[in-house]
Amino acid sequence: MVRKMSIQRYLSKVYRNFVVRKVIRGIGIIFATSTLTFFIIRLMPSNPIEIFINQMMSAYGMSYQDAKALALALFTIDLDKPLHEQYIEYLVNLLQGNIGRSIAISPGTPVMEVVSTFLPWTLFSVSVSLLASFALGVTLGMIAAYRRGGIFDKVISAVAAVTSAIPGYLIGILIIVFIGVQFGLINYMRGAYSAGLKPGFTPEFIADVFLHLAAPFATYVLSTFGGWMLSMKASTLSVLGEDYVTVARAKGLPEGRIRTQYVGRNAILPLFTSLTISLGFIFGGSVLIENVFVYRGVGRLLWSSINARDYTVMQAVFLIITISVIVSNIIADLLYGLIDPRIRVGG
Amino acid sequence: MRTSLKVLLVAAAATILALGALLPVAVYAQQEERKPLFVGAWPYQLPPEGHFNTFVTGGLTFGIYQQVIEEPLALYLWHNDTYVPWLATDWEISGDYFVVHLRQGVTFHDGTPFTAKDVAGTWLIHYILNHPIYSQGYVDKVEIVDDYTVRFHIKTPSPVLIRYILREPVRAYSTYKDFVDRAMEYMNQGLAPTADPVKQLAAEFRNFRPERYVGTGPFMWIDEITEAEVWFKFYDNYWNKDRVKFRWLKLVNGETPQVTPHVLAKEVDYATHGFPPATEQQFKELGIRIIRPPIYSGPALYFNMLIWPLNETWFRKAIAHAINKTENGWVSLSESGRPVKYHSALPIELEDIWLTPETKAKLDTYPYDPEKAAQILREHGFTKGADGYWRYPNGTIVEFELSFPAEYADWSAAAQNAAAQLEKFGIKITPRAVTFTQHPLDVYEGRFQLAIRHWGGGANPHPYFHYYAVFIYWNEKEAGVGQGRPGISFPLVQDTKCCGRVNINELVISSAKGFDVEETKRITNQLALIFNELLPCVILWQRYGNNPALDGVRVTGWPPDNDPIYKNPPYGDAFLVFMLLTGYGIEPTPENMPAAPPPEQPEQPAEQPTPQAPGFDVTLIAAVVAIVIVAVVVGVMLARRRK
Repeated sequence: MVRKMSIQRYLSKVYRNFVVRKVIRGIGIIFATSTLTFFIIRLMPSNPIEIFINQMMSAYGMSYQDAKALALALFTIDLDKPLHEQYIEYLVNLLQGNIGRSIAISPGTPVMEVVSTFLPWTLFSVSVSLLASFALGVTLGMIAAYRRGGIFDKVISAVAAVTSAIPGYLIGILIIVFIGVQFGLINYMRGAYSAGLKPGFTPEFIADVFLHLAAPFATYVLSTFGGWMLSMKASTLSVLGEDYVTVARAKGLPEGRIRTQYVGRNAILPLFTSLTISLGFIFGGSVLIENVFVYRGVGRLLWSSINARDYTVMQAVFLIITISVIVSNIIADLLYGLIDPRIRVGG
Repeated sequence: MRTSLKVLLVAAAATILALGALLPVAVYAQQEERKPLFVGAWPYQLPPEGHFNTFVTGGLTFGIYQQVIEEPLALYLWHNDTYVPWLATDWEISGDYFVVHLRQGVTFHDGTPFTAKDVAGTWLIHYILNHPIYSQGYVDKVEIVDDYTVRFHIKTPSPVLIRYILREPVRAYSTYKDFVDRAMEYMNQGLAPTADPVKQLAAEFRNFRPERYVGTGPFMWIDEITEAEVWFKFYDNYWNKDRVKFRWLKLVNGETPQVTPHVLAKEVDYATHGFPPATEQQFKELGIRIIRPPIYSGPALYFNMLIWPLNETWFRKAIAHAINKTENGWVSLSESGRPVKYHSALPIELEDIWLTPETKAKLDTYPYDPEKAAQILREHGFTKGADGYWRYPNGTIVEFELSFPAEYADWSAAAQNAAAQLEKFGIKITPRAVTFTQHPLDVYEGRFQLAIRHWGGGANPHPYFHYYAVFIYWNEKEAGVGQGRPGISFPLVQDTKCCGRVNINELVISSAKGFDVEETKRITNQLALIFNELLPCVILWQRYGNNPALDGVRVTGWPPDNDPIYKNPPYGDAFLVFMLLTGYGIEPTPENMPAAPPPEQPEQPAEQPTPQAPGFDVTLIAAVVAIVIVAVVVGVMLARRRK
């Protein structure tokens, strides 16, 4: 009895631990999201087997029975099974680390292999663009707040409001038409690198990759920096009115120190959570921008898997996005305590 | 702290600048001279989605360009209905066999000689995949007679089988030999493609992913492919090398939205994509020529015959008169959406070949005549209300839903315009856009009232394909084919004024049988009259290409619009493929020719080697410069900090 009590106490102590609690909650959310995804995907009209059967019948003149038998042999899922059985099978496979094989876009290929060919490019392009956008937005937002009411503030705020209001894909199309077409640079705005270059850490390849990143990078930064900038401006303005800033000035501290240690550090806090959530979404890529620039990324993969009703690939991409968002949230919670000592959690 | 932050920022800026300095290196790296070059466009998927098994779904065939990599036995000219010998030198029907004699001295890109084994191998793979020549019972066996002769045993004579065999790209036996050999065993055992062992082999074959892509064509795979483009190089041992005028082929990847900016930037010499009228106008303003070859197909308005009054011929005729098809075509695709004249279900270009003047004289052209349409409805007890809508005899409003595939811009426009015209006429229409993968399934299943789907057999010149498209394709249950889904549910045994009681299904099937052209013509004329009278669908217009052809940049010599080569469609039997293979018409501009080689220098004696300039790599220099810039900036900042 005593032993049982001590185990209970130990477990309760473990659960009270901030990190453990966050991780357990994260696992719960992943389970709930993957369950929802599983069912919502299957509510979409049509299904991959039906599309495959039609393809086989029209392309090879197969009978329906033959096409269906082939589909069942080829695909690891049987959509005629009751939904709950399919779901249990999916969960069991998931627990074993098996996310299945592609059904439609690359039939038979393990989903992990399909995703891993696209993921590095998305991680590279979106993370570089996101960090640049964040850095630019935060810097400009702070400058605008310090020079509030001035010409710089008015101009940059107007630019930020306009660029944030234009959808990214439209900015992409404008860049293609006005820069790519007019200046004959269209060939450098398509794909992740030039045909004929062998991927590797060679100066040519690295330079080529950056050259091809320029247009999607510019599109992403232009369409998102405004949001960061306006948030940072608002946040900085509110911090500038705080008593501790007035006190710091009264104490005669150097303006640079006040700007970085007192204003900047506090003003950036509200943006930090948004940044970490955005970092989580990096894994989902940027569907429209990747499509406009024919950039090899998870966004394009998701797009084609939805069109082809490739359930397994869709499930995998949504799962990756869910996990990355949850992990980055946990990291954000942990780091938040480091940045802002006021909310450090004990235990 | 402040200084170190500054150092960091300046170093970061210097790194970005240094990387910027590296960018021209990438441009420099791309400037290898690749001339004479032809640039086309076609959508494709990169591996692992795309692969080199060109027999099955997902194969990297590159559409029409497949035939400049994997060549067929013959090319086909639509304007005079003739085959041009290509990998085959000639062919004949000999008893129960279709015998093909092959060209000698041809080699594949991997160096293996082209022989009867390759042709037989191609058709043995199709045997395990149950290609229509087997499933329709045209052929039951393929045999190698000698190294350069192959013959097909004819089970059911049909001109269709000749087309299938002569126009199929020939694949290398060396690539598929394991499957070809096993297929040959099964065929020799007399197994049908539907036998279990053959089906099992087929299932295995669909997962087969060859490591290479070889053909006999003038352009060969060089493994230069990205999401954006793919390159092919001229095959130096090509058997017909003197007639091919280009040495490089580049294809831009993508559908219409991705390809449009390349065309605008004059980076594409020819594209087959369907461009909206506004984009087409932009091309014209830039001086880009638009070629309009017939597609031999187009959108039609189909009816669900399980719904009254859509199952009434008179009602469908009223609809045909209520829609201005010229307006519909123009709105959808400007000059490339042209109304048909005779409403025979044959494309305009084939009507003169297959239909007699007597038949044409009997065909109703269904001109735009809303008054006639109104009169038909009134005759059947319909009335028009004060709100402008027609009402059934029982007083309820005549109202339908019109579904169409959302992603097909021209069909969407056709549907929206047809809906607007019918609304104006007084029939309430709710247009419903359905995603393109789902829409055909809805029509197959009969889950529609009115729908826009295709008419016409596309790139198949034989009338069979065109009548199959309008009578059988969406009518599985009545025709007893496919999965037996209801589709349009159009009865195929009917009493007609023109031809008495007819079994349309049998007529369509028999149109493809036998080599007697006159008999095929007789059946075709009968089918034209039946279609025109019963109207299972209303043909809205025939689609023509609006293909941009850039003249004077890299390519010149596009034949004039009235050249008969443009009777070939842009897709199957593509006229461009004929031009690239035979050297007809197009050729490189002088700017697209490689620079003349420098005059040959007399050889230096071996013992006195010519002093060589140091072999500096420009990229190495750029990288070193970049590193030096960063190092200097960081060094200066650190030095200042110490002070």
